[in-house]
Amino acid sequence: MFNKFVILFVLMALMLSACGGSAQTDQPSGGEEPVTGTEAPAAAEKVTLRVWSHQNDSFNAGYEALAAEYMGLHPDVEIVFETFDYDTYIQTLQTALPAKTEADILQMFGSWVCSYAEGGNLAEMPTSAISLDDARAKLLNAPIGGYICEDKLYGVPQEFNIEYGAVLLNTAIAEEVGATNYLDDWANWDEVIEDGQKMTVVQDGVMTRAGLNFTGSDGIATMFHSLYLQYGGQYLQDGVYTVDTPEGVKTLELMMRLVDEGLVDPVLYNDEENWVGDSFFAETSAMGLVGPWAIPEYSGDYEEVAANTIYQPLPSVGSDPVFAAASGWGLTVSINSKVQEKAWDFVNFVTLDAGNAVEWNLASGTLPALKENITGTNAESLIAEFPYFEPFLGILEYGQYEGQFPDRDFVWYEVTYPTVLNFLQGNATLEETLQTIESEVQGSFQ
Amino acid sequence: MTARSQDKNSGRFFRGRNAAEKRFLAGTISPLVLYLAFWTIFPLLWGITLAFFDYSPRQTGGFLGFGEGNPFVGLQHFENMLNFSADAPLEVQQFHIGIRVTLLFAALVVPLNLLITVPLAFLIESVNGKAKGIFRTIFFLPVLAPSVGVAIMWGFIFHPQRGLLNAIIGQFTGRLVGTAWLRDSSLTVWGIPVALFAIIIAYLWQDMGYNLVIFIAALQGIPQSIKDAARIDGANWLQMFVRIIIPLLMPTILLAAILTMISAFQVFDIVQVMTEGGPDDQTQVLLLNIYSYAFRYQKMGWAAAVSIVMFLVVLSISFVQTRLLRSEWEY
Repeated sequence: MFNKFVILFVLMALMLSACGGSAQTDQPSGGEEPVTGTEAPAAAEKVTLRVWSHQNDSFNAGYEALAAEYMGLHPDVEIVFETFDYDTYIQTLQTALPAKTEADILQMFGSWVCSYAEGGNLAEMPTSAISLDDARAKLLNAPIGGYICEDKLYGVPQEFNIEYGAVLLNTAIAEEVGATNYLDDWANWDEVIEDGQKMTVVQDGVMTRAGLNFTGSDGIATMFHSLYLQYGGQYLQDGVYTVDTPEGVKTLELMMRLVDEGLVDPVLYNDEENWVGDSFFAETSAMGLVGPWAIPEYSGDYEEVAANTIYQPLPSVGSDPVFAAASGWGLTVSINSKVQEKAWDFVNFVTLDAGNAVEWNLASGTLPALKENITGTNAESLIAEFPYFEPFLGILEYGQYEGQFPDRDFVWYEVTYPTVLNFLQGNATLEETLQTIESEVQGSFQ
Repeated sequence: MTARSQDKNSGRFFRGRNAAEKRFLAGTISPLVLYLAFWTIFPLLWGITLAFFDYSPRQTGGFLGFGEGNPFVGLQHFENMLNFSADAPLEVQQFHIGIRVTLLFAALVVPLNLLITVPLAFLIESVNGKAKGIFRTIFFLPVLAPSVGVAIMWGFIFHPQRGLLNAIIGQFTGRLVGTAWLRDSSLTVWGIPVALFAIIIAYLWQDMGYNLVIFIAALQGIPQSIKDAARIDGANWLQMFVRIIIPLLMPTILLAAILTMISAFQVFDIVQVMTEGGPDDQTQVLLLNIYSYAFRYQKMGWAAAVSIVMFLVVLSISFVQTRLLRSEWEY
């Protein structure tokens, strides 16, 4: 009898612990009365807005400055930040959203938004805050693209995440070897190759310095899709992914040409070995295809190299320098938040006011998502603070959102990168590569 | 006391005790039972249940997250695993690769480990004095090192440009060597990728200390009289090792083989740090595959189904090993 009681007790405990998540109470700080997950606050009650973000000191410094400003303007609102390291943040979102224990405002990367929105976890942005058309008019195409799911807006991006369009270039190496084409901006890829070849060093058949290291995972995936767009193709239309086309052939031919002309050895230079950021600042790559976040990331440890580093715009194979880009970090509101109105108001304050938005970009060292901030005084203040932004600000408007994939990381890192790298390493034919990418990416839609 | 009478006694665990004793027993045992239930049994049941749903934490479901956006799919995941066609979905193809690589890894690691550790234990055990303790400590030290640290260290050794191995080869050849031991998919030996061998070397370096200690303990348990009798009968060193020691160690070898095999199936951190499954999926072990699909691509239903298959494979191989290596020896 007693044994049965113990078993019953264990089962009940399990059931209670499993069901406990949905009844959990939001946890405000500062000794305030908690705003529970089941009751909306009364009008005069102080509202606590919980904000979740991933740990990034400069990002969070930007948020906290704007939150302090907002709380000054709205004494009835308290904003509490909770941060998690990147991997923990992803896993916390995965467990907290089904359990409905997440914060009111969730920092999201654009390419995650639709999968969470389609799962019913995110609130649609009210048209009273901004309409979809106005958002499209106000924000750059690539960053806002990640936040639009089936013609509904689920948040606002704060930055433009760019991985293609310009390359890091070590001017000291270029000067030393007499690579000068870049000085007047490259007119075509022949000029890039000529400069790259001069900067490459091969000793005993081993490449010890790559002229142009583009064979990291982000580099390969964004270059492949960007060149495809520049050649006039559209790889994703109405949920159909197509790259096994003449544009795809031209794209891979150009990428292979860079390898054949000796600018990089893809066996020695890839995501796992001599990763582009590490390699560039260790001066084992003279040019590297990586986003503008790399300079602040490395400049502390590699001051000398950073002093000789510029971002050099890449030439386009088409009429315009179009490129694929992966939206950017921004803010969304949980569907379970009981204070959505206040939450959206804060999101608007941070993201849509041009002054506040650029303040956050300046604090976080990121490119702007607002069209208003790529020109004029705000752009000038960004260039004054981050001179390497200049070549990017001119091309941001050509950025095209990389597309709504069921799982973008899967397409980028599990399909495109390893398949193209395998081709560049000489282990697969061009036809096989395009067929594999097309079928495997299309398969991910099913 | 027989096993049967033990069972009966455990069934009457609380019988014949007064109320205070019962309360004390229940009070002390319940937390442990709850702990075990919550951290072991519940996750196990949860994992098994997930395998029958197309479950993703990104989707909203009904009770406990099941249903609605995470629909019940029955045995669909397991049926998909049997799709061996060329146009099978990528996760299915990678599952097949994962099974193949993991089996190959375990098939190489288990015998290599035993081939190294059994003779080594015999040699260490035959050393007299303080040297025995020093050798034991030296060989056991890598076990204490964190796997990630071990992987980083071996990654440095195998690095194509800054690596120790290429530097040593370069010293002998007098020219720069840039062999990408961990990244070049065209490097194979007898059809087995060199990158996999590199991981096996790192894995064995760290793992063999365990078995060494087990075998040394087992060797110390072999009665001296048996060894003396063999010597009197004229057995030399090799005959003693092959004819006497190995058969008497068979139960321990069986245990070590099963433990090593299970551990080999669970290899993750060394592979993740050294190769991330590359080059060209040549080191994509099953656990890495499960991790990627569960936490990176959030297809937890699929990952749970693969976990169940992995569990069944380990169970089956352990069962076969037990049968094949069963010893008739007792001492």
